[in-house]
Amino acid sequence: MSAKTTNLIQDKLAKLNEYVAWFDSDEFALEQAVDKFAAAEKLAEEIEQDLAGFKNEINVIKKKFDQE
Amino acid sequence: MANVLPIFSVSDFLASVNQTLEYAYPSIEIEGEVASFKVNQGKFVFFDLKDSGGSIGCFMTVWQMRIPIEDGMKVVVRATPKLTPWGKFSLTVQAIRPSGEGSLKKSFELLKAKLEKEGLFSPERKRPLPGLPHHIGVISSTQAAGYADFIKILDDRWGGMQVDVAHVQVQGEAAPDQMIRAIKYFNEQEVLPEVLVIVRGGGSADDLSAFNDELLVREIAASRIPTLVGVGHEVDESLADLAADVRAATPSNAAQIIVPDKREIVQGSRHSLARIIVRMEQAIRDTQLMTKATLELAFRRIEQQLERNTDMLRQRRAMLAAYDPKSVLERGYALVRGDERVGGVVTIEKATVTLTAEVTNVSKNN
Repeated sequence: MSAKTTNLIQDKLAKLNEYVAWFDSDEFALEQAVDKFAAAEKLAEEIEQDLAGFKNEINVIKKKFDQE
Repeated sequence: MANVLPIFSVSDFLASVNQTLEYAYPSIEIEGEVASFKVNQGKFVFFDLKDSGGSIGCFMTVWQMRIPIEDGMKVVVRATPKLTPWGKFSLTVQAIRPSGEGSLKKSFELLKAKLEKEGLFSPERKRPLPGLPHHIGVISSTQAAGYADFIKILDDRWGGMQVDVAHVQVQGEAAPDQMIRAIKYFNEQEVLPEVLVIVRGGGSADDLSAFNDELLVREIAASRIPTLVGVGHEVDESLADLAADVRAATPSNAAQIIVPDKREIVQGSRHSLARIIVRMEQAIRDTQLMTKATLELAFRRIEQQLERNTDMLRQRRAMLAAYDPKSVLERGYALVRGDERVGGVVTIEKATVTLTAEVTNVSKNN
């Protein structure tokens, strides 16, 4: 579950980077820029929300290590 | 009644003394300086433990020796006193550790040189840690401040990870074996953590000496799972650090190494958006400038065309004006119309008057 969440955030980060790269690339066209910007903005908000509610699952192993 | 002293056989007496010794000193710790250190058959270790007032022979096996020992080193042995069948008093040593800064340092340097020679610390053995792990194994004491620092920084920086923690002693004689068992435990799991983190906060050289245990150092080097060791403070160097794939200066630093900071990610995302906005604004400005320049060019072209047409019109008008008969008349010429024969009547139109005349002679020009 947590690994999936991490993957999802990584996917979103990768997508955001793609958008940024598009804006820096020769493919940039003002006609498409507004839509792309809106998508990037939505993605950035989602990443922020995902990260805010992102918790680690800490599990102390029951096994004792003081004997074989 | 007279006191009757018991008569022992030699063996019984030796057994009785050993029993008494065992009862009186089941396990004792003695500090002294090592002398006449030797290893027989690669298995049995003999040395004397001495101080200014005396000396005791000691015996142990090489497998019990977790640190290198040499003559002159000050050590503490945990041992059981024993009388041998030959009547020689000796200590059967269960554990030995260097005592005092000098001996700790000496032992550290000896083991470091030995393991370095074997290539345990060589850079070629180092593996990279995963970029963003989902599952990590932590070996530490859950009561230690170093562990608390590690978990706090880890939680502050990133989430969504499965963190399995093996609670072990990180100080004292039992610590190395517990950590070794924990490393083995993680390495034997069906699903391996992506990284194994061993952390402990600061302490004295003696407190941290568990991390210079030869078997522990070898276990770290042999781990199938990439290892990250963060022990003590920045200035502390342990052999466990050197054997690890990555060394962290402190437990907090270990957390910083293992995961990115989500606040930086958020800032990065915002920065990316800001960059996009700047790029868009720039593109809009560029487009506006380009449109303006194109319009200006179009206007210039229209003006030029207009000028050309005006000039042409002016030229045509001038041409037309030159062809106008009136202007010829104004230059003194006259326009003659009528019967050009002798006796005929002609009208002569000049610029200002028109005359009527009779033709009196007609002659041809050359």
